Order: sequence, then C-alpha cells, then structure tokens
Amino acid sequence: MNNTLRANLSGPSIRWILSKPIISSSAPSRCSFLAAPRIELRRRYHSYQHPAPAPPFTTAELAILSASLLHVPSHGFSDAALSFGARDAGYLDISVNMLSRGVFDLVHYHLATERLRLSDKIDFRKPENELPECLRNLSIPAKIRVLCMERLKANVPIIHRWQEALAVMSLAGNIPASMSELAKLSDEIWFLAGDESHDTTWYTKRATLSTVYASTELFMTQDNSKDFEATWEFLDRRLNDVKTIGSAVSNIASYLDFTVHAFANVLRSKNAPFF
Amino acid sequence: MSARPVSRGLLSAASSKHLRSIVPRVAAFHSITPKNDQSNSEPVTHFGFQTVKASLKATKVAEVFSSVASSYDTMNDVMSFGIHRLWKDHFVRSLNPGRRPGGQPMSILDVAGGTGDIAFRMLDHSEKVNGDRETTVLCTDINADMLREGEKRAIQGGYDSNRISFCVENAETLESIPDNSIDLYTISFGIRNVTSIPKALKSAHRVLKPGGVFACLEFSKVSPAPLDAIYQQYSFSIIPLMGQLVAGDRDSYQYLVESIKRFPSQSEFARMIKDAGLANVGKGYEELTFGVASIWKGVKPLE
Repeated sequence: MNNTLRANLSGPSIRWILSKPIISSSAPSRCSFLAAPRIELRRRYHSYQHPAPAPPFTTAELAILSASLLHVPSHGFSDAALSFGARDAGYLDISVNMLSRGVFDLVHYHLATERLRLSDKIDFRKPENELPECLRNLSIPAKIRVLCMERLKANVPIIHRWQEALAVMSLAGNIPASMSELAKLSDEIWFLAGDESHDTTWYTKRATLSTVYASTELFMTQDNSKDFEATWEFLDRRLNDVKTIGSAVSNIASYLDFTVHAFANVLRSKNAPFF
Repeated sequence: MSARPVSRGLLSAASSKHLRSIVPRVAAFHSITPKNDQSNSEPVTHFGFQTVKASLKATKVAEVFSSVASSYDTMNDVMSFGIHRLWKDHFVRSLNPGRRPGGQPMSILDVAGGTGDIAFRMLDHSEKVNGDRETTVLCTDINADMLREGEKRAIQGGYDSNRISFCVENAETLESIPDNSIDLYTISFGIRNVTSIPKALKSAHRVLKPGGVFACLEFSKVSPAPLDAIYQQYSFSIIPLMGQLVAGDRDSYQYLVESIKRFPSQSEFARMIKDAGLANVGKGYEELTFGVASIWKGVKPLE
C-alpha cells in the first residue's frame, strides 16, 4: 500500500523536478564548472527523494526555547520569557544571546514545532480504518478544514499573546522567514490531506490556503466566543469564498474560451485572413 | 622562501602602484624579511604586512597603541566618519547586558578595552534599559597607556568605581581572572592585535561561566567586490595620511590598515571560535556596513 503510494508520487512530476539537486557531487567532470560548489536546494515541500531537513535549531537552542515557551502565557513573546526559559534550562540570563534573532526565534520555534506536530495528530494519508471514526470518508475540502482547525487549536494556550508574535513576525527583517513558515504550513496541510495535484493548482491551492489560514489566525486573536465558534464559522466562510472564487474563475475561463472560439469560427466562415 | 610571493600578492591585492609610491617603507621591508625568517628558528608572526618574531609582536603593538592612546577616539571618529559609534552601540544593544527580573547581576569582562568605550556603554545600557546598578565591568588591556585614558574618562563621566575597574592583562593568559567567573566576555577591535588568536580564545573559554557569552567586534572583509576595491583604496591611501595629519603618526595607522587586511575572514574566524570550544551563534557572525566590521558571538556550552 505504502509502496504504491510512493511510486505514484515519485513519478515525473513538477515536484520531482524541483526536488532534484542541481548537480550531484559525483557528476562527470565535463561539467566541472557547475560541480565546483555543490548547491543544495532548500526543501520547501514534501519530497520522497530527500530526507527531511535537520531541525532549524541546535539542541542548546531547543532547550532554551522549549523552556521559554512555557513562560509565554504569563510573560508574552518577550525577552523576559526567554530569560526565564534560559534559567529553567540551566543557562545564564546572558545565554539568550545564543538566539541570533531573539524573540523571533521563540515565535519561529512555536510555528515550526506546531507545524511538525500536526502530522502526529491527524494524517489523512493513513488507511481509512486507522483513522478515528469521525474523520473517515471526508472530502478533500473537509479534510483541509479539519487540519486548519487542528493547527489553530494549537494556538489556544497562547492566543491572548499571539498578537505580540504577529507584531514581531511583521517586522521587515522577519517577514521572509514568517512567509516561508506560512508556506510550509499550507504545504503540510495539503500534503496531509492527501492532495496529489501535479499541475499549476499545486501553487494556487497553497497560495489560497495561506491567505485563508493567515486571516483566520488573525481573526482568532480577537475572538471572544465560546470555544472559538466564531473562528470556525469565519474559517468556513473563507473556505466557501475560495470555492466560489475558484468556480467563478473556471466559469469565466470557459466563457472566454467559448467566446474566443466562436468569434474565430465566425471569422473563418467569412474567409478572413489568418484563420 | 614562500613569504615573498605571499606578501607581494597581498600588496598588489591591497592597492596598485599608487600604494607603493606612498608607502615605500612597507615594500622595502618585504624584500628583507624572508631572509630574516630563514636565519632564525624562533616562531614568527605577522605585524601588519611585516613578519616579526612572535615574542616581539606584543611590544610592537604596545608601541603603536602607546603612541595613539590620546588621539585614539578622535582618529576613530575621523577614519570611520563616526560610524564606529553606531557599531559599538549596536554591539552593546544586541548583547543586552544587565540584570533581568529575578536574575543575578552580571560580571562583564571587556578585553582590550583600554579607553573604556565598550565598558561605559555596557554600564549605561544595563542601567538605562535593565535598571541595573550592580552589574560590574572589568576593563583589561595589555597597554597601561590606553587604560589610563579609560580611567581618566571613567572619572570624568562620573562612573561608580565599584562597578568599573581597570587592570593590565594579556588577552592570551588573563592570569588574574579565575576560571568560570565571567558572564560576558567582549573584545572590540582588539583581537587582531593579539599575537596568538587561538590562545586568546582558549583563555576566553576558560574564564567564561558555562552558558557565558563571548562577543567580538572586529574589522572584517568587505563585499561585494566593487565596494571592497573602494574600501581598500580608502584604507591604504587615505587612513595613513589622516593619521599623519590628525595624530601626527603615520606608521601606527599604516600598521592599523595592514593588520585589518591580515585578519581572517568572517567565516574563518567563526571557525576559530568554534575550535576553541565555543558554540557559534546562528551562522557565526553578523556583518555591519557591508562587512567593514562584523560581530561574532559564541556561547560556552554547559558541562
């Protein structure tokens, strides 16, 4: 079962082409000008050809960050939380200099760990009978919804502090890393939902899910409803919007396609040049 | 034997005919030194572009700094257009020294910090930003003349003598400083003048507490290449001239620019820090102003 799935996905898809290293170190020397510095493409999506990249933090950083995260509910995403975390991990106050991006490293740590934890919680690629009862026989959009909700629920313990994190993420120097983390999350969600698209929708799906997720997360920071019901309704409306826009785009595309062909046919019947 | 082509390479990389016409002294030295190396088994090191006996380097560096001590900061301002102040401010702010809520006051060691530039900033930062009046700074330098400048300024600036002290120390040994006693070790524009950089890093490792931070601000390699060409032209033609005009001391500033040129690149020095047993922070360094200067940080691992 697992093997056939692997074979399916490792076909000559765009994902496979993108995931090929530019040149391998054992390449023949006739292209030595390319072989000189070995270029490793950074993996931005799931690949069966390459091992998962090493975690972005060292063990010492992980010790401080994981301890600091426990102080976030009371001290926020701040230097104070980092100092308390460093002390808990047996380091000195000054040791937080180990984190080259300061508080943003703490935010990044939360984003990365929760993204990676998502696959432990729900993985729709597993056979149906291994999934819990309520998650069987769902459509792809329903699976996306479940995964989005699961990821958003991971923000619940720190949601009252999440605006601070969003502020840190929106600083100019941190935007590229924040955007990349968002892209990785939406890739993760589509991957876990079992999406196997090989065409341009690979990109549009991830782009639209990123906007939906980011806006819902922002909405959630202001949500006072019981059990975040308003957030889940907001998420449903956004996902419906995407569906509407998607069908509108395809309707417009087929309308244009039809009109252009009809027009060309009219010209042809009149013996117009070039047709 | 091998010293000759190397030094010629460095000279031509540094500048063109223009340089040789300005500094015939350096070119002359190069044609002599290789013979000296051969006839002597004593270890040698570099002093700017010259090759000198390792045992002599400290004295020669001392001569340079004794002669520039009084005009040191004026010259820094003139040469860097005041940018060195921004670098130093950024350096101290990024380290964020000072007691944190519920924590202990820090003990900071500023090596090669003669005129107290970094030490005073540390005290100001810990007081103004972290509300800490207990953190102490020990300012050491191999050169007593530089330290006297610092002491004079500490009195002028009204700094608490319980919080700042001055002590003559060789960065390679740091004899009077006990093991595992320092939270934060800083060295700013000093490490390139040390005879053996690995020894200085080993001593830093020795005096730091586990979890303590080593931080170094130093000149480094400029990129991209066109900017580097301009920078080389500036440093080899204009800085010695300004040294002559402002400080009345051309040779010291000639040494200064040569020593900058000889200092390892950002990543090489980061590797040296790692080899000394300190864990690099991030990629190991942070470049300032296109790499004219860089900040390296290392953390001593827990046992």
